[in-house]
Amino acid sequence: MSCPKDKITLEFNGKPVTARPGDTVASALYRSGQRIFTRSFKYHRRRGLLCLAGKCPNCLMNVDGAPNVRTCITLVRAGMRVTHQNASPSLENDWLSVVQHFDRLMPVGWYYKTMTDPRVWHTAEPFVRKIAGLGTPPSPDAVSGNYEHAYRHSDVAIIGGGPAGLKAAISEAENGRQVTLVDDQPELGGHLRYTKIAEAALPELVAKVQTLPNMQVLNGSYCFGLYEGNLLGIVQPRRDPDDAERLIHLRAGRVVVATGAYESPLLFPNNDLVGVMLSTGVLRLIHLHGIIPGKVAVVIGQSPLVEPVVADLREAGLQIAATVAPKSVVRAIGKKYVTRIETRDARHACDLVVMCGHRIPDAGLLHQAGARLEWNAGKGAFIPTDLPAHVSAVGQVTGESLSAAATLPPVLDPASKRAFVCLCSDVSSQDLANAIDEGFDHIETLKRYTTTTMGPCQGRMCQLPAIGVCARQTNHSMAETGVTTGRPPNPGVTLGALAGARHHPTRRTPMHYEHEAAGAAWLDMGEWKRSRYYQSPMGASEKQCVEQEYRAVRERVGLIDVSTLGKLDLKGRDVGRLLDHVYAGRFSDLRPGRTRYGVICDEAGIMLDDGTVSRLADDHFFVTTTTGNLDFVLQWMNWWLVGTNWDVYITNLTSGLAAVNLAGPNAREVLKPLTDCDLSTAAFPYMACRVAQVAGAEAILMRIGFVGETGWEIHFPAESGPDVWKAVMEAGRKFDIKPFGIEAQRLLRLEKRHIIVGVDSDALTNPFEAGMGWVPKLDKEDFIGRSALARLATQPPKQKLACFIMNEADLPEDGAAIMIGGQLAGRVTSARFSPGQGKAIGLAWVPAETAREGAEVQVRVRGRVARARITEKAFYDPDGARLRM
Amino acid sequence: MSFLVQCPQCGHRSVYEFRFGGEVKQRPAPNASEAEWTNYVYTKANEAGVQKEWWFHRSGCRQWFQAVRNTVTNEVQESFFPGDTT
Repeated sequence: MSCPKDKITLEFNGKPVTARPGDTVASALYRSGQRIFTRSFKYHRRRGLLCLAGKCPNCLMNVDGAPNVRTCITLVRAGMRVTHQNASPSLENDWLSVVQHFDRLMPVGWYYKTMTDPRVWHTAEPFVRKIAGLGTPPSPDAVSGNYEHAYRHSDVAIIGGGPAGLKAAISEAENGRQVTLVDDQPELGGHLRYTKIAEAALPELVAKVQTLPNMQVLNGSYCFGLYEGNLLGIVQPRRDPDDAERLIHLRAGRVVVATGAYESPLLFPNNDLVGVMLSTGVLRLIHLHGIIPGKVAVVIGQSPLVEPVVADLREAGLQIAATVAPKSVVRAIGKKYVTRIETRDARHACDLVVMCGHRIPDAGLLHQAGARLEWNAGKGAFIPTDLPAHVSAVGQVTGESLSAAATLPPVLDPASKRAFVCLCSDVSSQDLANAIDEGFDHIETLKRYTTTTMGPCQGRMCQLPAIGVCARQTNHSMAETGVTTGRPPNPGVTLGALAGARHHPTRRTPMHYEHEAAGAAWLDMGEWKRSRYYQSPMGASEKQCVEQEYRAVRERVGLIDVSTLGKLDLKGRDVGRLLDHVYAGRFSDLRPGRTRYGVICDEAGIMLDDGTVSRLADDHFFVTTTTGNLDFVLQWMNWWLVGTNWDVYITNLTSGLAAVNLAGPNAREVLKPLTDCDLSTAAFPYMACRVAQVAGAEAILMRIGFVGETGWEIHFPAESGPDVWKAVMEAGRKFDIKPFGIEAQRLLRLEKRHIIVGVDSDALTNPFEAGMGWVPKLDKEDFIGRSALARLATQPPKQKLACFIMNEADLPEDGAAIMIGGQLAGRVTSARFSPGQGKAIGLAWVPAETAREGAEVQVRVRGRVARARITEKAFYDPDGARLRM
Repeated sequence: MSFLVQCPQCGHRSVYEFRFGGEVKQRPAPNASEAEWTNYVYTKANEAGVQKEWWFHRSGCRQWFQAVRNTVTNEVQESFFPGDTT
């Protein structure tokens, strides 16, 4: 941090504000004269500093573009840009504060009572959104700063850097354990930082913590969740603009919760006026920042909490106008700021009201972790009990040194529309009483109906008063009323921190830059980048480019990068046995040098994946899977191998090999000069495979025909990728070779009625309905899915995958509805315009009885119904003669 | 979910490193009745308590193994490679 010695300048609403080192944003603004920090959620009432500990919603501002930052625990930094939220035009003059005069029109549950008609809601929503709320999220393109995740481990994690946490941390560290100490305040010390306690030896404790080598201190970082397995979610805000906001996943052997107790406000009319503060907030201002927040104070509270506070305030130079008991307070009075306190028998002029509120154990983390919160009347608090294993608690969070302030139950009588229980969403004791009268008389339903405890403070300020009101109105005890469930995250976490670094892993094929140079338009397929088509330098449309690629393959020769295919090398005596078991087809009888199409089904007979199986030698197979299913197939094969002792070794060569498919009438002529392999049909027939040199690289060649032309799928080492690609393109130049992309490939295969598993099939498709009843070899004794497939083979399928051709010049979208007689009867899985047919063709699921040559169906094309005709055979070369040429 | 799974090879790791593979079930014989097969394919014990499960250490050693887990507490009591004699 670079700044002049004793002066830091930040910007508040565009104006410079001078701060001192060690100031928080809130203390700097307060020192500069700012008293109103926020406008309330619903009524736009003025709100000033209250807790100064990051527990209440009163100081939320936008800091450097991030909304809802707790400014009272955010240290100042030179050049910080701070702006107010939810007030227009300014915090001092907010025209929306007029809303509070209509509060009678906004009873509890106002939304549910008035917004019952969708038309009303759609009209009202923009206004409601404008009036109610907190900060505005930054626009997606203006998201500032970095986010990252860190993973840490320690023997013990201590949450809370107060005296109990510090002592526990020191003791654990001195016993040789790796300790992580997490504290949400800018400096360690907890309440010792601002209260005068004789036993205090804070500097010694802090110094000790900082010298222990096996201690890691995360101060200014907050823990928002304690999850199973002792996983702690911790946010470390950025210290300077170049830093990253860090989400730390801390896994700890044991967790010691030392979050202490915090103070919550008292309930009386106008308890939210600016200048009404918690005693701990006032003491923080005085002792941490050297700010005396007033001249004449009224202290509300009960012995023994009040006396030390009064003494402290006097010593700081404040005049104490009166010390009053909470139950005698009638209301606070003041227009902009508090000016008086009215009690049953007097009025006290003042400019500061100090509430000595209840001390509430900050047991949220323990509650999340599964502890029970049990009412303890003697301590006037819900005390955590039944802590889960490996989680413990020390200090005030256990109820230690708490004594019931005589202010309980913390409720006044009668209820008031201006006595705010929930500062986050402006819910008063009157609202709670009304909600209970309406039947929401359980603390959990009361919470959901009124949104009390659901705001930014997550119940820290309001839960105990809400329970008190609920208990009184329902004539139950505090214990019977109980607490609402505590859930993470608490406090809130920025979505950026949860999302982490914006890393998008990208996989590029070895020939990626060849495609880029050729003008590839990219398609993201999982993590892979694939060429959708190649753009023409003449600016032709995508349709024209695809058609040119299509024509190159059909009439001359084309080359496509298929490196993204899953590629598995299987070696061992029992590979044939494994493949027979995993695939529906038979592979143990495949002769070396031959390739066969394979389909994997699950035990229910559903098609999971397809690909080719090539036998390179007796004990050596080469298997391809679809791009997206590699991991699945690999895990699936390995799963079936567990415990078998079969002699099978599987190597995943997906990244190690590049692959291309060279296809078209001239494919042989292109390949011939590049290889020593005899490519004649006699020597290398359709569905054969060979290992040979191609353009100087050792390659596996398979003569297969997904696109329906004479062609070879060639797999070769990834490092030779660009060389082989260039060599093939060069050799193909005299045949006017063209690289082709996914779009052309999909069109070419559609004309051949070759399906894509996962596109044309879904999670319920079996081979019989997909028109591939020849695939399962039911005469095999056993294989995955045999039982189900044997049964399916005897049942006529209800629906079938069929080819269709449009009657008119319409192109249905993938997924379009198939209609028969005006009724929904199926859906299109793939449709493309076929230059060969001059019409759009496709595959669709239709009722089995419709899946016959010439049947008429209707296809919904962009809201219109168009006619189509079913065909049984492939559109192009149905007998596969071209593949065998 | 953030419990630890004990890989027999790599030790305790976050559950996010693993793929869950379902309950361990005995696959019926090829000629078993349709009811047995239907039960195997579609029915799960869905035990609220201790059950034996398949796990795959996806982000680690990439091995399948079995673990005994309490589905109520997510405590993994033991794990092993099937077939290993201990």
